Amino acid sequence: MSKVMSELAEMARNRPIELKELKGKGGKVVEYTGSFIPEQLIYAAGAEPYLMFRGGEPEPPDTVLEYMLRFMNPHARSQVGFWNLGLDPVTPFADLVVAQQTDCHVGRIAELMEYLKWPVYKVGVPSDWEKPHTREYYYKALGKLKTKLEELTGNKITDEELKKSVVSINKINQALRKMSELRKADSPAIGGSDFILLNHYSFFCEPEVTASKLEELYEELKEKGGVFPKDAPRILLAGRIVAFGDYVVPKLIEDSGAVIVTEMLDEGVRHYRRQDVETEGDLIRNIGEAYYLKRIPPCIFQPAWKHRFERMQELIKEYKVDGVVWYQLSFDEIYDMECSCIIKWMDELKMPFLKLESSYEYSREATGPLTTRIESFVESIKERKGVI
Amino acid sequence: MKKDIYEDFLKIVGFEGDDIPKSLSEWRTASEKLGLTEEDVRFATEEWIPQNWDITSRGVRKIVGAIIREAIDLTKANEYKKNGVKIVYGIMPAILTNYLAIKESGGDRVFVSFPDLFLVSVLNSFFHKVNPYLETAETEGGISYGCRHCALNKTRLAARMKGVIPSPDVIWTWGFNCDEGPKTDEYINCYYNPDWNVEITRIPHDTHFGEIDDENRERVEYLALQLKDSCERVEDAIGIKVTPESLSEAVKTWGRFAFKNGQLQYMVATSDPLVLDGNTPTLAALPLFTPFNTGLGYMEEAIDILTKEVREKIQKGEGILPKGAPKVGAYFVPFPNPWLNTMFLENGVGLNFSLIIALSKRQLKPPTYKDPYMATAEQWLRMSPGMNMGLEVEDTIEKVGASKPDAVVMGFFDFDRWLGAHQKMVAKLVEERTGVPHFYLECDFYEDRDYSPEALRTRIESMCQVIKMRK
Repeated sequence: MSKVMSELAEMARNRPIELKELKGKGGKVVEYTGSFIPEQLIYAAGAEPYLMFRGGEPEPPDTVLEYMLRFMNPHARSQVGFWNLGLDPVTPFADLVVAQQTDCHVGRIAELMEYLKWPVYKVGVPSDWEKPHTREYYYKALGKLKTKLEELTGNKITDEELKKSVVSINKINQALRKMSELRKADSPAIGGSDFILLNHYSFFCEPEVTASKLEELYEELKEKGGVFPKDAPRILLAGRIVAFGDYVVPKLIEDSGAVIVTEMLDEGVRHYRRQDVETEGDLIRNIGEAYYLKRIPPCIFQPAWKHRFERMQELIKEYKVDGVVWYQLSFDEIYDMECSCIIKWMDELKMPFLKLESSYEYSREATGPLTTRIESFVESIKERKGVI
Repeated sequence: MKKDIYEDFLKIVGFEGDDIPKSLSEWRTASEKLGLTEEDVRFATEEWIPQNWDITSRGVRKIVGAIIREAIDLTKANEYKKNGVKIVYGIMPAILTNYLAIKESGGDRVFVSFPDLFLVSVLNSFFHKVNPYLETAETEGGISYGCRHCALNKTRLAARMKGVIPSPDVIWTWGFNCDEGPKTDEYINCYYNPDWNVEITRIPHDTHFGEIDDENRERVEYLALQLKDSCERVEDAIGIKVTPESLSEAVKTWGRFAFKNGQLQYMVATSDPLVLDGNTPTLAALPLFTPFNTGLGYMEEAIDILTKEVREKIQKGEGILPKGAPKVGAYFVPFPNPWLNTMFLENGVGLNFSLIIALSKRQLKPPTYKDPYMATAEQWLRMSPGMNMGLEVEDTIEKVGASKPDAVVMGFFDFDRWLGAHQKMVAKLVEERTGVPHFYLECDFYEDRDYSPEALRTRIESMCQVIKMRK
């Protein structure tokens, strides 16, 4: 691992301790979920954001079954599950938990958080996104969040402060965008496992520092050149989320001799390609437009799947993708349906496709067959490419 | 003379006099289109319906008959479409008055239905035969078995794939509760039928515990705007204008029916001895959730007859269980699996009312707004599925207090990531506040492949033993 990545990893690891200390000094800690809550607002209010998106462990989702249906996706359940197990380092002292309200899984988990008397604040995200008034609903919701944060911190969110945080996050997006370009090379300088990790770290570390570290890493990678074999199968990883801590599947894909050259994930990564926020004019509206419209519509949006498939085809072309791995969470019903459509469409494109489903059960017994499936898929692509 | 099982069927479902010979041929054709064999009709007539529905009551027979008449009509939808009738579908839960208004405005030029709810209700409640539809969706339609998808959504897709229903001019689909319902329509459009034209109306679940959804004017306005906007798009799709008069008339019709049905629900829920199983009043409430293209005449007549019978039985002290037998409420009595209710009765416990249908004081309040869209939006936000869980708990406490059950059984919605997801929490909170014991039974409202009688018998028996001991 490069020195810069190690530094970012260290900063991310120490973030909860840092937050606890800041809290002790009178700071406010705001946790948030999903990909529709702009951290720019939280920073601009003088509070400290912390994205809740841990996953990849089997026990936490099971702890909420006393309160919750078992057919909810394990990522949503994990957000309360870690707390139940006493393994959530931040929620016990968080001043606010801002929960995006997109789909049923996160919606009912937010109600479980309320049931448990967490300080929950909900931000509605209409899914029928093509109607102008639904966008306005989201923009208004962001305006209300701004007021809530101002009340919490006692600080007025000024345009100046907001612009500062917008610029910082834009810089992170820009660095990730440049780094992603490197992945278009025949031998990419960085794989998907590390790129996803960088995204994760970027949610935890101070934005200016992160942006500068990512720039430094970009220069280093550019200099170093490719680290994967030129003929390694090139994979597009798609699905809802690779959560913080859920690294088994990306690692297995790259350990099997393939390289993840691009992702199409709704959460857990930044929408760095197009989500830069304009810095002039009504900043709340600019943020709203960037978060709502300047992204691949998530699966929950309707209509979405044809748009998403078009975008997937563009990614396949841009990144010279040889195969697609669809990484789905168990019982995530709408992703399951989208997957059936994509299988059909990929079949028409004759694009190799592998559907994987995870309940975060990565025991030795579960990982063995998973490894075999991934290895077979990678081998079949190699065969198709004439590599073996 | 050779026994005609189709004729016998019509007799046990309340068809009378000249209506039987007139309807016989239509019923044969309809049942064939639905995929029902002669053996299925025999099974329903001689076993399933007598075992699970109290057909000694003329009112009950008539209620089942009203549903069968609508099923016959549904099988004519392909023919209607060929003849230029506009086809409008919807899904549950929806704001029904919109569909009633479309029908009111369009008359015979438009056909309205929630075909999946209808098919599941008819096929499983009376024939125990929805599985072929579910299997078609799973094996040929790409909807996986293992992900616990909703039987209604599978049935909608399969009904289209089997040609039972035509593609609509528009399906006005709702995401007021679950995501899977509206996304299924996107799925059908993407996966199977590009002509499946979808109009979607949703509102985020973003109110907090302590907030009263229907008193939040901004929320009511947003929902009203959504309704009006979708209504206009539907009008464009079918070329029929929905007039404010039609909408007002629809609100009145729905209100009249809800009142009539509410009376029946209340009489049954509070009767001692219990006069009727909980399946029938819940089935009779179907027009509150799905539009009847043939109108509400038959169902209203059936409810009038049943209400009269129930009143007489209460006066005579007659019941289906001994006086004092425990009565249990449910979130929503699972009438498409009628054996569940029968199993409770066999164990001396009456599963007799649905919390979701019972009306709270808030739901009975007259509308605050004159504008029909605002009034409709407000009404929806007063309903259990339209409010946040905190408020639903408050309403549920009131309903449990009014109906005074010996226990409440939650569950039956394991496939629904909205309506099913929170029930364990609701159970805990309501039990805490009312002292009425709450149980949770993981089960599927619409189908029973994963929760067969064999699988649930012991659990239900234990539940009933505990309820009886506590009483």
